[in-house]
Amino acid sequence: MSVNKVMSNKWMIAFYVLPALILVGILIFIPLGLSAYYGLMDWNGIGEMEFIGMENYINAVQDMKFWDSAFHSFLLAFFSTLSLIVYLAISMILASKIKGADLLRKIYLIPMLLSSVAIAQLWIKVFNPSNGILNKMLMGLGVENPPAWLANPDIVLYAIFIPILWQYAGFYILIYYAALKNIPESLIEAAKIDGATPLQIAYRIKLPLIAGVVKVTIVLAIVGSLKYFDLIYVMTGGGPNGASEVMASYMYKLAFSTNDFGYGSAIGFLLLVITLIVTVIVRKLTADKEELQY
Amino acid sequence: MKKKAVTLFLVITSFVLVLVGCSGGADEGSASQDGKTIEFMHLWPEGSSAQHHKIIEDIVADFESNNEGVNVEVEVLSNEQYKDKMKVLSTSNELPDVGMTWAAGYLEPYVEGNKFASLNDVLESGLQDSFVSGTTEAYAIEDTTYGLPLELNVAPIYYNESIFEENGLEVPQTYEEFKQVVATLEENGVDPIALGNKDRWTGSLWYMYMADRIGGPEALSEAINGSGSFEDPAFVEAAAKIQELTDMNAFNAGFNGLSDQEAKSMFMSGQAAMYMIGTWDLPNYTTNEDVPQEFRDSVGYFKFPTVNGQGDQSSFVGGPGVGLFVAENSDVKAEAKDFVSFFVEQWGERSVQDAGVIPATKVDAESMDLPQMYVDVLNDLNNASNITLFADVQMSPDAAEVHLNQIQALFGGEITPEEFAEAHQEAMTSEE
Amino acid sequence: MNRLGYIFLYLCLGLVAVFQILPIVWLFLFSLKGNREIFAGSPFALPQEWKWENYLTVWQGGIGTYFFNSIWITVVAIILTSLLASMATFAITRMQWKLSSLVLGLFMVGLMIPIHSAIIPLFNMFLNVNLIDNPWSIVITYTAYNLPITMMILLGFYYTLPREIEEAAIIDGCSIHRLFFRIILPMTTPVLSTIVIINMIYNWNEFVFVNTFISSDQYKTLTVGIQNFIGQYMTDWGAIGATLIISLLPILLAFIFFSNKVVEGISSSAVKG
Repeated sequence: MSVNKVMSNKWMIAFYVLPALILVGILIFIPLGLSAYYGLMDWNGIGEMEFIGMENYINAVQDMKFWDSAFHSFLLAFFSTLSLIVYLAISMILASKIKGADLLRKIYLIPMLLSSVAIAQLWIKVFNPSNGILNKMLMGLGVENPPAWLANPDIVLYAIFIPILWQYAGFYILIYYAALKNIPESLIEAAKIDGATPLQIAYRIKLPLIAGVVKVTIVLAIVGSLKYFDLIYVMTGGGPNGASEVMASYMYKLAFSTNDFGYGSAIGFLLLVITLIVTVIVRKLTADKEELQY
Repeated sequence: MKKKAVTLFLVITSFVLVLVGCSGGADEGSASQDGKTIEFMHLWPEGSSAQHHKIIEDIVADFESNNEGVNVEVEVLSNEQYKDKMKVLSTSNELPDVGMTWAAGYLEPYVEGNKFASLNDVLESGLQDSFVSGTTEAYAIEDTTYGLPLELNVAPIYYNESIFEENGLEVPQTYEEFKQVVATLEENGVDPIALGNKDRWTGSLWYMYMADRIGGPEALSEAINGSGSFEDPAFVEAAAKIQELTDMNAFNAGFNGLSDQEAKSMFMSGQAAMYMIGTWDLPNYTTNEDVPQEFRDSVGYFKFPTVNGQGDQSSFVGGPGVGLFVAENSDVKAEAKDFVSFFVEQWGERSVQDAGVIPATKVDAESMDLPQMYVDVLNDLNNASNITLFADVQMSPDAAEVHLNQIQALFGGEITPEEFAEAHQEAMTSEE
Repeated sequence: MNRLGYIFLYLCLGLVAVFQILPIVWLFLFSLKGNREIFAGSPFALPQEWKWENYLTVWQGGIGTYFFNSIWITVVAIILTSLLASMATFAITRMQWKLSSLVLGLFMVGLMIPIHSAIIPLFNMFLNVNLIDNPWSIVITYTAYNLPITMMILLGFYYTLPREIEEAAIIDGCSIHRLFFRIILPMTTPVLSTIVIINMIYNWNEFVFVNTFISSDQYKTLTVGIQNFIGQYMTDWGAIGATLIISLLPILLAFIFFSNKVVEGISSSAVKG
């Protein structure tokens, strides 16, 4: 039987793809469409809705608060992508054959098991301006007026990135680790015999072999950051005065707190469109020639 | 293996088909054939509000035994989750038969959207007289009342008597004296005032009092409801006075990033001398066994001082907290109204005695064994010349959002008092 | 690397390890304190009075039912997600059809929807099919919303599977199902373990969907149990800490188990690869 014929059997393809596709279609795409539709309405989510066409979308494009929050989200995406390098380096060390790597790996991943409620509480305490661990340490080192991390509008955004990057470390290390462990041992042994240093092996052999996985994580980091919400909402509520507002928290506030449900839905849909555009660009930039044929 | 996979596939597709399938015709209402069910949603979970929860359970049980065939189905959520769920339910027109609402700004869109039932008939049947005057009005729009208030709070300034004593301080009557107190405490290395302004309404309280004392309660109410203006020089001065306080380091460091609860704990652990919060916090300073007796004994409260010799100290910022609503499209409306009426009657005395709530219904403080601080607060309430409803409750949610953000910016020194006033005015005019 | 380098490396690794384990210690101490100590004291100070009653409070709050619900909902959703995602990824990466990249794109778009945009339309849909206050609404929502991310993770691994394997298998007369279930799935054990861990954490800690779709106590999950301690004006943080510790234990155990699988699976796939 020809391989191609078997692997292009329409019934079989449908059998494997449709269950997931139908589920995603109904539970994600229909709500998505509805949310785009609500974006065309003047609706507070309570009374009658009124069709106003593109007005919400036009307002959103002119809304400085939205662009501020988008800028914050982009910063987060940028830092998340950069931190992938650190995660990758740690994973390489953990996946190499040093003693105790297995135990270390488990310990490193423990924080990712914590729910956002716990992580937020922990870091609120770390950042507390007078009783917090961080400022006590700084004062111990002789810093006279350590910053009020979550109250200073110039710092708050960067302060809050730290727990977010920390929270996600485990997630990426886990993925990288599995990818690195998937590399056939024979390849690395061969390189060693050729006299390659560990750094060379990491850069020349391991990295290219897991390039596909790395590209996926870049997309995940960007998409995840652009719609990120949890910790920021709990730790600062987007404040002070919007200094740590991100797209998703802005959208949430509009739709759920200030009764601008139609406008909030429009922002939610724009968030998705922006994410989509960024993703496409990133995919194009990171795609190499062979992959483009896919 | 193949068989299993096929079965799985079939299960999933049928599942999905059920989902897509006929959407209409779902049997409406939860009324079973032989009885009626009132869905009731509240926000006092057992874990955090044990006494409130218990009182509600008792009231529900009593109501059910008095009304054969009526069943009350209770769902409990925490504050934030409650608000979110209300939103979700209202978009689908699925509000519970009875639930809790906040006054004014929160309630308005529900009334405009015709979601809440008029409770005038309930009040007219004699219930009106049992409410403290002015409380049901906060739930009324154009002479129709849509909510029955359960709490009534004002916000005094609590202070730590032992810290005051150690620093040789007296309760201030005027703003000048108050500044003196702040300056002395700050010099002696004690945080004068605990403020958690991440929550924003906490800072709003300070501004409102300042505005009330300088501009007077009528002008403040008019500014908040849009008929007056925040650009009134009195209110700009109030904002300037707030910045005067922040410049004196009157509030703890980093208040804009701290929650109210964190500020509260600073006050309760003796790290700060004063703390402004609603009277809902009274149990912490009177009956709450988890708080050390020593601390409870050393807490007193005073009324916000006069400013520039102006203002009436018995004018308060406060107002009713949550109230009960009945859904307009409830299919057990009559029973639901009976239930809220019964609830309010039962709630008053029990809530103050068992849960330390100051109810919106009149209570006879004399006949009850209450801690002195309660008696004092109830007296103050009786003698109050005015109670201005919390600005963020009174305003529409959009305007409130602007107000609260501006409060953070004002306290944080990001804007001038003039810009503060301007931003408010802009938000108020764009409402119309 | 020389000896000094190793010492330095281990020093760094050890330091990070301490840093990563402290949160658990902190959370444990947190769960034994009252509100006053939690906010005023140092986070790592031992409790002045050990409030074991926090655990009792939590237990009396009916956590047993929540616990059971969390477990079965998490497990069923994980099984569904892993299976459906593997099947779809298999078809997209290994089978030959024109629309494969388009379909992949659709799944990727699914990754981008903010859940707060989806929650109200979803509620409406479930209401129309009578799935509100039904735990299956939670199961299928978890499954659907985790499918895209799970597939993304699987994708990188499926691309690296050597083509020769399936060619050999099919020439030997192996059916597609047999190829997938008997050869491909076992080969992907390491990444399957990874996605099980990730799905487990997501499902276990999720609360927005549960809070919205479920109203009866009997169907609520552990994360909702936390809400029980958040009051209108007061929050019992000690009890929340105790709930968090209780809910952490099962996933910690499961995590260690599956974490070992990430390594174990390799030997088998390495042999075949």
